[in-house]
Amino acid sequence: MAEKFHMELSQLKQDTLVMARFSRDMLHDALQALIEQDTEKAKEIASRKKQVRDTTIALEERTYQLIAMNQPMAKDMRVIACTLKIITSAERIGRYGKDIANMVKHIKGQPDFGQPVPLMHMANQVIAMIDDTLAAYEVENLDRIAGLSFRDDAVDSLWHSIFRETLTFMMENPKTITRSTYFIMVARYLERSGDHACKMAENVHYMVTGERIEIK
Amino acid sequence: MTTETIIQTENLNLWYGESHALQTVSMGIPKNRVTALIGPSGCGKSTLLRCFNRLNDLIDHVKITGTILLDNEDIQCSATDVVMLRKKVGMVFQKPNPFPKSIYENIAYGPRVHGVKEKSELDAIVERSLRRAALWDEVKDRLHDSALGLSGGQQQRLCIARTLAVEPEVILMDEPCSALDPIATAKIENLIDMLKQQYTVIIVTHNMQQAARVSDFTGFMYLGKLIECGKTVQIFEHPKEELTENYITGRFG
Repeated sequence: MAEKFHMELSQLKQDTLVMARFSRDMLHDALQALIEQDTEKAKEIASRKKQVRDTTIALEERTYQLIAMNQPMAKDMRVIACTLKIITSAERIGRYGKDIANMVKHIKGQPDFGQPVPLMHMANQVIAMIDDTLAAYEVENLDRIAGLSFRDDAVDSLWHSIFRETLTFMMENPKTITRSTYFIMVARYLERSGDHACKMAENVHYMVTGERIEIK
Repeated sequence: MTTETIIQTENLNLWYGESHALQTVSMGIPKNRVTALIGPSGCGKSTLLRCFNRLNDLIDHVKITGTILLDNEDIQCSATDVVMLRKKVGMVFQKPNPFPKSIYENIAYGPRVHGVKEKSELDAIVERSLRRAALWDEVKDRLHDSALGLSGGQQQRLCIARTLAVEPEVILMDEPCSALDPIATAKIENLIDMLKQQYTVIIVTHNMQQAARVSDFTGFMYLGKLIECGKTVQIFEHPKEELTENYITGRFG
């Protein structure tokens, strides 16, 4: 029976990774659509939210069933605990992607003052943090998330920098306020997604070692 | 949380003839706590349990080295009064084994052997022991009926009451629930939790969920060795040894 349980647990992990990477792609693609001002693409991205939601519920349901039927202990219990947390954070990241995608139509046509330069850079940093955390979860090895705390500090700095830069644009030209406000929100969502990567990494660390640490 | 140690083994080795059944086992059993011994069949957990009241003396060709201290006294030395030792360290077995006598006589037997003759005193011991074993309310009106008429779970609680009647310090339980249904098992588990206020309990179990539910400390044994011993929450959340991890999660063999 243990073998059947371990196969189901392994499959749950694989399916959680698929769902988490689907959410990660929503965030990534939403940023692309924003930069390219592509409303069609943005609409398609926002429509993926339903799949994220449905998959989240199905994965959670399977997790609860595995707990109820097998009373997992030790590493098995830690894998399940970590998986539940990853499902929650991944869903959040997908929803930020949808929220950013929904902004594209509001920004399109607004007076352009150029992209805040660090926004795409910030997005790339955050996506890389998510990728490395999911890879660590997949192979159960902490190497790729070793310096995550420093990377999150850099993302936080970028958020403050974008906030200040955008405020300057707004003060110089009030016509940019709509667009600037949306950009601030995008930066904020990216910063939150970075925090979710850290939260997931904390749980991967717990899964692998059994120790609780704080990554911030 | 520091707890006093009631039993301490140091470099305990045991051979059944050529077979080295316990290999350099050093462990402390904390007083007024429940300690569970887990491990695959034949790992030595029952053998270790039987060392604590010298029940292995009854088996031929057994050789033991190392020390076992109970209340800081070596129970292995020839001066040890084995009858007194077994009064201090009671035992409950896998299958309920009441004497083919009345419920009352089952409990009164031990105290009588140890010299209690007064009926009023025996009555008090019988009632107190049955109450502590959470059986009094179910049997108080039929104390003189045969113990063999009780259900399996009741018989097992009677055996626990019989152990309690001689005021032990330590109660050894060797798979006490494996012959019982889930409801009777739950009653014994509740009882174990209550007993630790006054006694030290050491339980051998195949059921890991049971070990996790009832014990404060857990020792994992494998091929005669004590692989890991620690707080039950630590053993079941993040064991230090990979062997323990593999056994607990069923990745064995």
